[in-house]
Parts: sequence; structure tokens; C-alpha cells
Amino acid sequence: MTQEYTDAPSAVRFGRQSKVVGSAPPVAQDVTYERILEARSEEPQNWLTYYGAYDGQRYSPLDEINTENINRLAPAWVFQFGSFGLHAGASTYAFEAAPIVVDGVMFLSGWDGWVWAIDARTGQELWRYKHEVPFDVGLCCGNVNRGVAVAKGKVFVVTLNAHVIALDAVTGECVWDATYGDVRAGESGTVAPLVVKNLVIVGSSGGEFGNRGHLDAFDLDTGERAWRCYTVPKPGEPGSETWPADGEAWQRGGGNCWVTGTYDPEQNLLYWGTGNPGPDFDGEVREGDNLYTDSVIAVDPDNGEIRWHYQFTPHDLWDYDSNMESILFEQDGRKLLAHFDKNGYFFVLDRTNGELVRVTPFAERITWGEIDANGKVTPKVYPDKEGETVHFFPGPAGAKEWCHAAYSPKTQLFYAPVQDTGAQVTRRRREFKEGTPYWGASVTVDSDNMQGFVKAIDASTSEEVWRWHNDTPMCASVLATGGDLVFVGAPSGEFRAFNAHTGEVLWEFQCGSGHHSSPVTYSIDGTQYVAVPVGWGSWVEGFLPGLMGAPHGNAIFSFALPGSAHRVSDAESSGQLY
Amino acid sequence: MTTANEKQSLSEMVSELGLDKSNNATIGRLIAHGGLGHAEEGPDGRMRAQIRIPLDEMIWDPSILVMPRGGEIEIELINDDTNTHCALMPSNGDKQWMWLPVYSKGTVTLDLDGPGYYWFSSNLGNDEGQGLFGAIVVLGDVPEEARLDRPPQTRP
Repeated sequence: MTQEYTDAPSAVRFGRQSKVVGSAPPVAQDVTYERILEARSEEPQNWLTYYGAYDGQRYSPLDEINTENINRLAPAWVFQFGSFGLHAGASTYAFEAAPIVVDGVMFLSGWDGWVWAIDARTGQELWRYKHEVPFDVGLCCGNVNRGVAVAKGKVFVVTLNAHVIALDAVTGECVWDATYGDVRAGESGTVAPLVVKNLVIVGSSGGEFGNRGHLDAFDLDTGERAWRCYTVPKPGEPGSETWPADGEAWQRGGGNCWVTGTYDPEQNLLYWGTGNPGPDFDGEVREGDNLYTDSVIAVDPDNGEIRWHYQFTPHDLWDYDSNMESILFEQDGRKLLAHFDKNGYFFVLDRTNGELVRVTPFAERITWGEIDANGKVTPKVYPDKEGETVHFFPGPAGAKEWCHAAYSPKTQLFYAPVQDTGAQVTRRRREFKEGTPYWGASVTVDSDNMQGFVKAIDASTSEEVWRWHNDTPMCASVLATGGDLVFVGAPSGEFRAFNAHTGEVLWEFQCGSGHHSSPVTYSIDGTQYVAVPVGWGSWVEGFLPGLMGAPHGNAIFSFALPGSAHRVSDAESSGQLY
Repeated sequence: MTTANEKQSLSEMVSELGLDKSNNATIGRLIAHGGLGHAEEGPDGRMRAQIRIPLDEMIWDPSILVMPRGGEIEIELINDDTNTHCALMPSNGDKQWMWLPVYSKGTVTLDLDGPGYYWFSSNLGNDEGQGLFGAIVVLGDVPEEARLDRPPQTRP
């Protein structure tokens, strides 16, 4: 007998089976390059770009929340999401993003291709977008994404399978989608895009897979690629003399650009950090300095050409990426750039030409080598002979991971999250195979004898002004505010506020999961909020294996002073969310 | 220890042990062990496929669906089981979800990138753990302009 079938109910978008509103107000329509240029000075109520402003300072002048009232700070709302079904990196996903806030709407990316628009006053989900991530995509460091960019009515985000996509900021629908990396070569995308002029600029991830790092720029409107800048030169190109002349090493040279750069409109230069060379720990197969790995490259955004570079760890043998932020600041009329490197040293450069101004250690223990006041690097402990184990500080996660420092022009202090963890590394040569991890070593990171700090560093002398000690490394970005406060989360879940002048802990809240993200602040109708994504995961085996089993989490908390934040009765009485 | 490739294929060993049957070797059925099927590309360039849930097997058949390339695909889902299930399917934009009542059928349209593979499931109770997880495999390569400028490399 032939079976008769009924029609199953029609397929629906999964998100529609929720309380998601389905659209957001058109707040992003008029976000332009010109507005982002003046983000901090003209509209401190918003957090318009990854670092809050092009200079990477992660400083907001908002001061409603300050040292006098911080003890009353309380959660205004929590947005949490979780995961569905089987997804890539199910054990390693983390919430690493820096939210973007435009006129009361928060745009945010999560793990596994999720992007959300959220009412920044109430936490109401306005729309969601899901980009499907292949289960088998190569991920060096977990299922993560560091954030979105917003301009001209669009939300830009990269995906783990190395697409850059533009979403309609009102509906969340995809407007264009461009592939910018090769998943078969171990490339992926985790960086928060940067909008400069009419371009959206993104970098590649995958430095542990032996690929060739690059920055790509796409037209905001069309998604057409404007340029690609490789961070490892081909034979004959400038810098190629720092690679073996007769080998194939440059083809797997690494130097990926997986953290957002900063930008100086006066110099018309992007300052973008580059990652480790490949293979990470086996330097014998890539003799030379290996430019432009572990460097900051100053890139012309109009054509993608490298104007100058400074290499922090020539011929890296410790996995000391230099992707971390270059903070732009000025002192005595000099245009400077500050960079806390994984290698444990704090560099100040002249950002007009890349000249070294000062280099000082900020790490607690540095045994891998030494950098003198002139920037001369002397390696001391490194994996050399096959099968011979060495131990060094800081380990491959560095004295500071990608998570960002902040700079307050008010206190003229830098605030850095510091890690103090060693690692044991044994060189193990392996043949390169495309799409397979290419470390050249066996690595185990210490699970004990570790600590962390928040350190305040004087901008004029690079000397430490205060420190706050933690029993585990500090692995989250710092936020500095005009309220003389410094915010940073701990791996054990506490979100803390410090007195920016003294380092005294003034407030803390246990968020239930470790912090590995970038908090931001914004205000709506005069009420200041501080928001922090919380969700422990990612490359925990690299930066804190002692907390591999800690609660995973997947929430964003937004805090405000009681009485000033959204109240339920407001929404109910108005019948709407805005 | 006997391993696949020495005497038998992995599929044969799994079958012999009963891992590809419901409540046999283990409680459920090992995921992605319900056969393999290929999507067909029509004259209009659209890819199409059909996937069933057979009676009492707690499995998608095929449980490995192969697409020759990334793009849009129409999949007809048929529930021949006498229990109600659902389909939670991967698709760019948002996941697609539908009820699959007893003896029902319906169509879902998905948009997926290649290359790579994705899981789909019935997200009721523990249908997933019992065997109702399937994979959609997308073949192909990324566009030429996205690839690295370097000579071809050795692969595993």
C-alpha cells in the first residue's frame, strides 16, 4: 500500500520561534567615516568602532559612573544565547566580541557565526543573523569572533570560514558576501572589521596552519575587493631577503592579521599587528628575521602598501604574535604609538616613521631573551635541538594576549592586562601539509606557578605606577573612563572597577563565567551603561590551562546605576521598546 | 586490536557490532550511519535532494547528503516513522526549522557555503543522541580570488 502523507507545517526561520523583534531602528544609516573620525569627541554616548575610536585607546569620557558612585553599579540587563546542535569547536567557543553601540542599538557578534542587534537599554533581541560555519573548519584557537563594524546602514562581520559579509543594519539580512580566505589552507576569520573611508578592512586568521597572512579591503557598498596586502613577501619583494632564498618557507610564513588595527587620519596610515611566523617554534626551516611577522606594519589604506614596519620579535621561536593593539597617543607634540607585546616588552614608537622611542619590560618574568634600550633582541632560551625540552616565560600566550590595554588621556596612564605563565616546548619537526597544524613543536603550558596583574604604566616614562595582583593571569580587555575608572574582567568571572589613579578595587560583580572579551561603555538619554560579553573558552590551553574546566558561559551583561536605567514599567506603559 | 583498513572497512566493523542499529550495540544509533546520498542538480541549476526518517530506525536516510558545491538546495523531508520529529537545518541567514509529524513531508530550502560539512538534526528530546543527526557535505573550493598567492601545496 502506498503511504499517504500530510503536508508538514512549512519550514520557518528558527529565530522566528523566539521573541526576537525582527528589525532594529535605522540608527546605522548615517554612520559615516566622518562620524567615526570624531567618535569620541562628538558622540561619546556611542561606541562606534572596535576600540571606541580609531586611536585604539579604549577610553570613554563618560563619567556618570565614577569613583563616588561605582559601589551602586548593578546589572541593568543580561542577554544570553547558548548554542544549538553540533557546531565547530563545541568545546572551545567563547564570547570575545567588543559590542558596537549606535544611538541605543547594540550590534554584536558571537561564536559560530551569530550576529545580533540588541536594544542597548533593555537587552531585547531585535534581530539575529546566522552564518553557517562548517563543522570541519580549521580553528587554531576556538570558535570565536571579536566583533562587527557598522557604517552606511550596514553591519560588517567576518565568518570562521573566511567570508566578510555585510548585513542590513535594520533587518539583519545579508546584503553582500565575499570570500577572503581559503579554508582548505587552514585560513579562517575572527577579526572585527575596521571601516576606513569607503572600505571595510579585515585580516586573516590561521597562523598555526602555515599559511601566508594578509589584509584585505572591500568596498563598503559593493563588496568588491579593493586590495590585498600580504604580510610575508614573495621572493624579490621588499623583506624577502629575511627568508631563506632557496626555500619554500615564505609560502607558509604566517604573519596573520587576526586583531583589528588602529588608524591615524593625519598620517593616513593603518597600524596593524601581525602574527607569528610558521612554523611557530621550529626556526631552522626559516632562517632570517622573517618579515613582516611579529611586527606592526603601517599600511596606506588607499592602496594596501606597507609604508614602514617595526618588528618586535625577529625570527620568533616562542609564538610571540604582535597582533595586539597599537595605541595612538601624543606626548610633547610627538605622535606616538604604544604597544604591549606578547614578548613581555612595552614599546613606544614614533608613528610617523616607526622609529623606536622607548622599550621597557612590563612582564613579571621574562626568560626567553632580552631586548635592550636600543631594541636589540638577544634570544636566550628557545627550542633548538630536536627532542630537547626547554621552559620559558612568558609562554606562547605571552605576557599579554590579544586582549586590549587602555589609555586614559585624563590620567595619562596605560592600563594593561598582564599574564605571567610559562610553558614547556620541545622542537618536533614535521612536514608541512596544507590545512594541518604546523607548529614544529610539542607544547604544554604551565597549569600552576602562574599569576596575573592589571598594571598602570606612565605614558611619559613607561614606568609602572600601580599594579593589582590576581592569582591567575588576566586575559580580558581593559576599559578606561572619564569617571576615573578602569574596568576589566577576570578569568574567574568577576568584573571589576578600579580607581584609575590608585588601582584600588572599588566594585566587583561575579558574572558566572570567565572574561575573554572587550567591555565597552555607552549612554542612552543620559544614563551610562557598561557592557561586557562573558563566555570563557577559546585558546584556554594556551593562556590558562589551569581553568580549562571553568564554566563556559555565553552572556552579555550591561550595568548601570540603579534608578537611572530602564525600568520594566517604562516599556509596559509605552507599549514599545524605545 | 583490529582497526579499520587492516581486515575490514570501518563501515563493516560498525555494522557487525550493531552500532548502525537503534538499541543494539548501544542505546542509540551512531550518528551519520544511515547511508549517503548525492544532491542532484536540475536543468535550472538548482540542487535538490530527498531525506527520509524510516520507521523505528531513528535515523536520517541518507544521513550524509553530498552537495557538489555551495549554494541553495531544496530538500524534501519525509517522516515514515510513527513518532513525531523535527528538522533543524543549517542555512546562512538563519537556521531553518520545521515540524515533521507522523507520515508527513515538506520542503526546506538551505543556503550553504562550500567547502565543508554541516550537521542537521531533530531537536526533540534526545532524537539527536539516538541517531537523528545527519551531515550535509559541501564539496568544491573557495573562489580563485580568495586563495593564497603561492604555489600548490602538499595536502595530507
